Amino acid sequence: MTSLDLDVSPWLDLARGAGREQVRQAVAVADPSIREFAILLSPAAGLELEAMAARAQALTRRHFGRTISLYAPLYLSNYCPTRCTYCGFASDRRIQRHKLTPAEMDSEGAALKRLGLEEVLLLTGDRLASAGYDFVREGVARAASRFHNVSAEVFAMTTPEYGGLAAAGCTAVTLYQETYDPARYALLHESGPKADYAWRLDAPARALAGGLRSVGLGVLLGLGDPIEDVLRLFHHAAWLRRRFWSGGVSISFPRVRPQSGDYVADFPVSERQLAQIVFAFRIAMPDVTLTLSTRESPRFRDGIAGVGISKMSVASRTTVGGYAETTAPSSAQFEIDDDRSVEEFCAMLRAKGLQPVFKNWDAVYREPECLTSSAST
Amino acid sequence: MEDGFRLGDRVFGSRLLLGTGKFSSVETMLAAVRASGTELVTVALRRFNRERPDDDICGPLAAMPGITLMPNTSGAMNAREAVRAALLGREITGSPFVKLEIHPNPHHLMPDPIETYEAAVSLVKEGFFVLPYISADPVLARRLEDVGCAAVMPLGSAIGSGQGLATLSMLQVIIRDAGVPTIVDAGLRSPSEAAAVMEMGGDAVLVNSAIAAAEDPALMAEAFAAAVKAGRQARMAGLMPRSETAVATSPLTAFLAGEGS
Repeated sequence: MTSLDLDVSPWLDLARGAGREQVRQAVAVADPSIREFAILLSPAAGLELEAMAARAQALTRRHFGRTISLYAPLYLSNYCPTRCTYCGFASDRRIQRHKLTPAEMDSEGAALKRLGLEEVLLLTGDRLASAGYDFVREGVARAASRFHNVSAEVFAMTTPEYGGLAAAGCTAVTLYQETYDPARYALLHESGPKADYAWRLDAPARALAGGLRSVGLGVLLGLGDPIEDVLRLFHHAAWLRRRFWSGGVSISFPRVRPQSGDYVADFPVSERQLAQIVFAFRIAMPDVTLTLSTRESPRFRDGIAGVGISKMSVASRTTVGGYAETTAPSSAQFEIDDDRSVEEFCAMLRAKGLQPVFKNWDAVYREPECLTSSAST
Repeated sequence: MEDGFRLGDRVFGSRLLLGTGKFSSVETMLAAVRASGTELVTVALRRFNRERPDDDICGPLAAMPGITLMPNTSGAMNAREAVRAALLGREITGSPFVKLEIHPNPHHLMPDPIETYEAAVSLVKEGFFVLPYISADPVLARRLEDVGCAAVMPLGSAIGSGQGLATLSMLQVIIRDAGVPTIVDAGLRSPSEAAAVMEMGGDAVLVNSAIAAAEDPALMAEAFAAAVKAGRQARMAGLMPRSETAVATSPLTAFLAGEGS
């Protein structure tokens, strides 16, 4: 297997200077590749957003139907040893920190479950002795006793650790490279375990090798040149699909949000650019789950639901816990923009002719031993 | 003319089977099921939601008169997972039918022949009427028939692709040689393709995306029902043989018939 090649220089001319005729052909192409993807990122494609949206919607319907899968994040801890310039949980921030106790993990899970959710994404800060692999694994196991689908957006782990998460009932791992530009990465991640670019870059492959069913990739839009970052993201996704024939890949589109450290994006991405990137991914990778969180505004989320995006978070809290009233208070990682309730959000989807899907997985697909381990750990 | 279609221990009047995913709402799905006249629908176990009725697509179908449920194992990556899902599906629905789907790649969703075969062996022993979803592979179809599957479900093309009968020549071999019903599943886009399957001797078709993704799913379901019926009738009526050359309706040699012998 060839190693991961992140050289996107052959595609930069197209991504920066494709013509309108190239764009029209790329929108309609039957067997898209990174060439079409690059063309669809171009300024000329930005003038064809309506045509891109129509194609993106048709492809989303074909592969995912008229449905939107729903999930909610649950932060297990906001302690963090890493100084990421853009993150509200960075170690140098004076914020209210908390780590869920086992009892709080259960009460938070119960509160989310009462909202009807069946898919939960567990999050933490970077690796700490007090909030490390065992802590995450316990969170997964406890969540797996309650939810049909549990995934984790946590620090980069070793292959055996990922195997342990899978055995505890974790279906997928999300791990954004944040930026694929090594120089920007070094600048933005000043210290702590996450400063190791290469270790993080290889983590999605380790997760699939360890037995996770799928990995979620992404860049934090705003940190690096968006064209170069998403071209490399495309490369990464395509490479993982070739290397792990039965592994799933999904892609998310987070943008830098206001947070406690007041980092301002060096490469701000507008809503129009964000939509263009989503449409380009849908057209060039039609069968991949594309996810959008509550970082974005209700107006943007309503518009792009089903038009490229096939999965969305709802009713999110970015504090530690935050769903149950009994959990100790803590600060949020970033501000969310869409704070609608589950009912409000689902009513919007239904009005758009989209069916909200809460349960799209079943615990029966976990190996039986993880069902027993979840109660005992 | 009664033209029932036997599967396991039952006879179904309709030769159109429906998938139930991808619809914009449960109501739309139910309306399409009703309009199609189907008697056998498949439901993904992963979409069963006993804790949230408005998210459950199994309960409303189970309540429809004249509908038999066939849980499917979509999501299973291997035989072990599929067998567990099938057992749970039977426990919940009481249905003896299972659509065995094992597609380890979550993107193209092509069925895994090796795991499907292993799971079929186990599920037949468990007393299921097993309907395996497979690539259009005549050898695999016969192997699955030999281990006791109630039918085989070869794909016309990739799930949801709308590419129609891309596997036509292999489907013809499967249909010609099959000792159990052949149900063409996946990839159909238009009613004419469903009619073509029936005309060439297929026993039934299973349709989901083409109906769910239509602008008017109930109307499209009705169209598929009509096409399946027309194709079946044409098959029963006996299609005239194809000929590579023109055959004049008034033969040129008719004048020779008058010669005395």
